[in-house]
Amino acid sequence: MSERRREGPSWDWDSPNCRAQMDQIFFRQHDYIQKGTTEHKEFWTFFERFQRFKTKKEMSGSGVAEGHRKEERDRKTTIDLGLPKDYDGRYRINISVCTKDVEERLGTGRSDQRNRHSSSGPRSQEIAACRLALLHFLDFNQRQSFGKLAKLRSEQKALPIYQYRDRIVELVQTHPVVVVAGDTGCGKSTQVPQYLLSSGFSHIACTQPRRIACISLAKRVSFESLNQYGSKVGYQIRFEGTRTPSTKLLFLTEGLLLRHIQADGALEQYQVLIVDEVHERHLHCDFLLGVLRSLLLCRPDLRLVLMSATINIKLFSDYFNSAPVLQVPGRLFPIQVMYQPIPAEEQPSRSEKLDPRPYLRVLQGIDQRYPPEERGDLLLFLSGVAEISTILEACQAYANHTKRWIVLPLHSTLSLAQQDKVFDIAPPGVRKCIISTNIAETSVTIDGVRFVVDSGKVKEMSFDPKAKMQRLQEFWISRASSEQRKGRAGRTGPGVCYRLYAESDYEAFASYPVPEIHRVALDSLILQMKSMGLGDPRSFIFIDPPPASSIQTAMTYLREQGALDPRGELTSMGSLLAQLPVDVVIGKMLVLGSVFNLVEPVLTVAAALSVQSPFLRSAQHNPDCATARQPLHSNQGDPFTLLNTFNAWVQVKGERGGASRKWCRRRGLEEQRLYEMVNLRRQFKELLRSHGLLEVLEERAPSGGGRGQRRERLTERRKLHQLKREHDLAEGGKRKVLRLEDGQEVDSGSDTDQDRRGKEATGGQDVDIQEVKFKLRHNLSELQEEAAASQDLSSRQQSLLKLLLCRGLYPQLALPDEHNANRKDSEQVFHTRNKQGVVIHPTSVFASDPEVLHVPEEGNREGPDKGDSSRHQLLAFVTLLETNKPYISNCVRVPALQALLLVANSLDSNADCTRLVVDGWLEVGLTGEGALNVLSAALTLRADWERLLLAQLGQGTLGAGGGSRAKSGGGLGVPGVSRKDLEKLADGLVRFLLYTEVSYSLCRLTGLQVQNLYVGPQPQTELSEGPAPNPLFPGKEVKPDPIKGGLRVTNYFTYNCLTDSKDLYSECLRTFWTCPHCDLYSPLTPLERMSHEATCKPPGEQQPCQDKEGEGVKAASSSSVAGLTRVYHCDVCNQDLTLTSTEILKHKRQHMHSGR
Amino acid sequence: MEPTTDEVSQNMFNCQLCSLSTPFTYYGQKPPNTRAIVLLEECFVTKDPFSPDRERFLILGSNCSVCHIPVCVGAGCSIFYTKRFCMQCVNKHMDQFPSQIQDELAKKKRSSKKGVS
Repeated sequence: MSERRREGPSWDWDSPNCRAQMDQIFFRQHDYIQKGTTEHKEFWTFFERFQRFKTKKEMSGSGVAEGHRKEERDRKTTIDLGLPKDYDGRYRINISVCTKDVEERLGTGRSDQRNRHSSSGPRSQEIAACRLALLHFLDFNQRQSFGKLAKLRSEQKALPIYQYRDRIVELVQTHPVVVVAGDTGCGKSTQVPQYLLSSGFSHIACTQPRRIACISLAKRVSFESLNQYGSKVGYQIRFEGTRTPSTKLLFLTEGLLLRHIQADGALEQYQVLIVDEVHERHLHCDFLLGVLRSLLLCRPDLRLVLMSATINIKLFSDYFNSAPVLQVPGRLFPIQVMYQPIPAEEQPSRSEKLDPRPYLRVLQGIDQRYPPEERGDLLLFLSGVAEISTILEACQAYANHTKRWIVLPLHSTLSLAQQDKVFDIAPPGVRKCIISTNIAETSVTIDGVRFVVDSGKVKEMSFDPKAKMQRLQEFWISRASSEQRKGRAGRTGPGVCYRLYAESDYEAFASYPVPEIHRVALDSLILQMKSMGLGDPRSFIFIDPPPASSIQTAMTYLREQGALDPRGELTSMGSLLAQLPVDVVIGKMLVLGSVFNLVEPVLTVAAALSVQSPFLRSAQHNPDCATARQPLHSNQGDPFTLLNTFNAWVQVKGERGGASRKWCRRRGLEEQRLYEMVNLRRQFKELLRSHGLLEVLEERAPSGGGRGQRRERLTERRKLHQLKREHDLAEGGKRKVLRLEDGQEVDSGSDTDQDRRGKEATGGQDVDIQEVKFKLRHNLSELQEEAAASQDLSSRQQSLLKLLLCRGLYPQLALPDEHNANRKDSEQVFHTRNKQGVVIHPTSVFASDPEVLHVPEEGNREGPDKGDSSRHQLLAFVTLLETNKPYISNCVRVPALQALLLVANSLDSNADCTRLVVDGWLEVGLTGEGALNVLSAALTLRADWERLLLAQLGQGTLGAGGGSRAKSGGGLGVPGVSRKDLEKLADGLVRFLLYTEVSYSLCRLTGLQVQNLYVGPQPQTELSEGPAPNPLFPGKEVKPDPIKGGLRVTNYFTYNCLTDSKDLYSECLRTFWTCPHCDLYSPLTPLERMSHEATCKPPGEQQPCQDKEGEGVKAASSSSVAGLTRVYHCDVCNQDLTLTSTEILKHKRQHMHSGR
Repeated sequence: MEPTTDEVSQNMFNCQLCSLSTPFTYYGQKPPNTRAIVLLEECFVTKDPFSPDRERFLILGSNCSVCHIPVCVGAGCSIFYTKRFCMQCVNKHMDQFPSQIQDELAKKKRSSKKGVS
């Protein structure tokens, strides 16, 4: 008899009222499952299914099996288990739910049906039915969870490394350093940390070369160690982490661990360090190993585990005093290798596109040999993006024809959504063909790959120290990479690897790739070593030492940049730069920006230049994107375009929140990069603040406002946290099935697709998780203020900002070729000091608008030389990278003469300062009077700038070193440096930049000119007799330059050392001159005049106390000239004289004249 | 830094048949915070690691009512039919179990054999 019929018409399971009554019995507020929770909802869904199932079973007749019970009963058994005679599913469940008390209280249940007052109340059958469903529901959930657990455990046991579990633990317990070598799939990265954790070690750190691996490993390991919802296992990467005080196992990047060591030299917080993927030989990893090697000496209790592929294991073991090695076999399915070298007629000749035929043959071969129902995707390795698009096009045409392939590109310049596509699943009968750079060799792992095509080529970055240029060149890969690529075919089943080269080629490959430390500029590394107090980098014991010349180049560079002093020790600027996780040039920019009132824009620009460009390459040819981007462009330079973009984005965020995603898509922007920028920007700000370079804000309420507002914000934050948690749980959900069309359009701007994806990525809800994280991390109104502060810069601010960027980027300057005006836009040529004929990268604003760099025509009529103009410009650039051409990118234009005079490390002049040579490669030709004015002004400004910068840096380090904040919320930006001084300097610089109207010529020196540039040491130079005082820095000496000749006036300016200098006539170069500040009117040489100008300031602008020479200043001095006098002992007169610097020069000259 | 002990000294549940091994937090019939729920046997219980809710429990296994070895609740190791029986005891006393269970087990045996071959 059906239960339903017995229930009668008054009971309806679908009615909310009836369900509510059941809820009162089974799902009360304190019950295991509570009303209103997801589980409660799940129960009722389960209930419906359960009822349907029951009804179906009853219909088909349930008593069938009864007769089955046979005479066995009579047989003698050892024991009677006492099992019930009739089978009931209920007996299979080991859980019971007691609700008797409630039922009685509610007057339902056992009470007689006739006595019931409420006709709609549940009777005992209904309660029993519900209870039974609940029991099955609970049992079902138990089975599900236990199933997961059992599966997890059996998977763990199946890993090759499981056999070595005890051995690993034992080795680590007994040895300071252990090397675990295992190939792909052996499980070392996920299991070794767990083995150590469960054997009693805690405070374990495990480094990874890639951020993404930190996140995914932490997730996986916390799941496997049944701590998915706890924080025992966490990760920490640059901007985010899940670490809490209870975290025992932390995954972090190599770079971050190095930063930890910088802060805590002995790494006391860790008991075990695991360095994973050491065989990849990244710069940071090699360095980290070196640091840890010496750290072990002072931390004998520390345990170090190196994990590597089975590559070059001896190297690591030997480096750590023959550390024990545990080798674990990998778990790869057999892979068939087919060598299919490309025939000569299909070999691409230089500068020609790849011939797709060899690649298409592989696709065809697969189609012929393997039936489509046998699944398995193809992964194709090429060297670079251009190669990928060539082959992609051909393969897509083939796929269109056969309908059996979905072709997808994979490289790092794709949008993240596009990169994500490669993980989706191809529909039945169709294979994915993923055409990738070496990103899929290690960084990205795609399951389901059965076929690999290996071109054998890779593009690798190298550094050319001579041209100061990075180079991206194509090479043959190493045997190790080749094996790694092959291995990608055997992860999920047996596979095939097609090598498009001969076996003999393979034999000739290098065994291993060149370690990064041998390929890249070591500037940042050396700087970090210096700041960690590791002594002379040349004597540091690296696992594989870089060439000494490489270290030397870096040391020289850092000295030029002012990060190291001449003895190779860290300067205060240097120690600050070492703290900033960016290139030296970007770091300099930040420090410079913090001095002036331009922190906000500089922070943005520095952050923007440190992340990948947000402008998607693929969108460049999309006219809609180009139009939408137009208002963001600035013809001042790419940093300004980035600044505009960031500011506009922040405004959109502020006004329309999540709509920024769409805004970005319209403009072909990768929003992820903007999120990175905003995070980085904040990190920079905090760093500058902690070094006393920015004022510490007084604690203010998150968004100001009253209590109500604060509460609102709090509620919002709680909601956001909830969203983030939900997202984290939903993540890793099911993969989408691709459609055939998915391989067709390569353009990233396809709206619908990205929308779909965005929603799917967040588990069906339309939640933009980046937006959520952004809101959690940043105070939008504060950010808007900051963006507003760097928006709509006045022309004064703009030119000052350009100068700061230029000084930061120096010596990365490029000179437009003199004939550019006559060339096509696409053929504009530039020259750097070390590399001639560089071009602007097509992504730069100057690539499409090169006219703004040309010297205007009207300049020609003025001077005798037709190249004269006051409008010459230079480009300061961030990167110089040679691919098929040497490209400069991220450029900003600056007025040439002003910028050079203010930032160059070396300025050499002739006698009348009409000819200047800058850094030994640029020649500036000036005329007469203007020359001196401009040079003199520049020297004065530089002196002031340097003084204020040093004062500020000194203060900053003091403040940070002492641990106490230098100020407690005062209005002053920088203690010790008055705001007035800063404003005056800024004003001076701006005036110099904007209003210097001097006509000059500007060109590169030829090789021959460079050889005969200087007069060289002159034993009989007139001023060489005694140390002369330095007119610009009283108290320092002007010495003859021992190499160039002439007089070294400041550390960057050498006077009269150029060969053409009219030295013999230098006395004749006196011209009458009136000092605008004092009464001086006399014939002066250029040097005399400059020295007078440097010391003679308008009354009221005196420095009350000269930094270096305070004691030499007379307290009562009122006259500007008298104020700068000092005691000078003249050896000739044998007298002590009180003179100004100028007067000392004059005095000396008297003797010289008389001596002649 | 001393090794923390909570990992090592944690009570481990080890299934004698499949050697599944995992820590348990409670043994008995009334796991904490389960309200109206009562277990019909003494169980090794832990917090359900796959549920975000901290109070969800997960039964790992219990002792066989016949031979008293600890076995997990996995279908390959034990069944519950008013009491817990490890697979060894089930096979020994198969005749006492109702036909539904006998059929079910026979079916499973066949399919697992197929899976292996």
